[in-house]
Amino acid sequence: MKHSFIALIEDKCTSCMLCVRECPAWCIHLDSHTVDVTEEGARRPRKVNVLDSFEIDYSLCMYCGVCIDVCPFDALAWDEHRALVTNNREDMLLGIEELGPSGSS
Amino acid sequence: MPRSSTWEKVEPADWRSTIEELREKGFIFFDFLTGVDQENVDGNNACEVVAHLATKDLSNSHFVTTQVLDELPSITDLIPAAQWYERECTEMFGVKFIGGSAKPLLRHENLGRPPLRKSTVLAARVLTPWPGAAEPEIKEDGRKVGNASRRRQRPPGVPDNWLQT
Repeated sequence: MKHSFIALIEDKCTSCMLCVRECPAWCIHLDSHTVDVTEEGARRPRKVNVLDSFEIDYSLCMYCGVCIDVCPFDALAWDEHRALVTNNREDMLLGIEELGPSGSS
Repeated sequence: MPRSSTWEKVEPADWRSTIEELREKGFIFFDFLTGVDQENVDGNNACEVVAHLATKDLSNSHFVTTQVLDELPSITDLIPAAQWYERECTEMFGVKFIGGSAKPLLRHENLGRPPLRKSTVLAARVLTPWPGAAEPEIKEDGRKVGNASRRRQRPPGVPDNWLQT
């Protein structure tokens, strides 16, 4: 496996913020909100975090893999494809859709 | 990698004599010398200096460490190749080597505190909004959008009183 890209497996992310806080380059930005989910038989509704946005700024990322190591849900993984080479800083900021693992889209 | 490695902790006063004895014992390959910040270890703001020497065939190697508060005798007259490492250690960790060169390798002279010490606050970390301040119901800029009650997280490596609230 090439360590050329960090992919996000969106379904596994619980918005726990561990990767964001451990990132030495401060390159991950995450936005989320909570919703109440009522399950059958439960006494009170459960609070569930919902991921709104997840961005890795590849102009800052140094591919250290700390985020992958700390993720308790394996929502981040090394991946084969690459962040694009570009002259535009905005293009280095990849969101949920661009961060999907290769082969998923 | 050498087949056997040993570690030894010495007093700063014995630093030179230990290195000298090692050379006489055949540890003539000088690998490196570096610093390790020891802030909050034993309650003082020391820096550990580590030197690694090995025998010529690399079958045995020896690490010598010592706790330094600010200065240590230089070993450049014993091992001229150590000068580069001592200069680096002075530049990055602020350890002075008596009898050695203090000329910086990368940074301008008098550019402020040594950057690899934990007590050196990185100014950019104070000025940049920390992405980790966000919570499911708190935005990165600190705005609350729900009934979040958790204590706000602090960015690592930035003293509390440096932050504007």
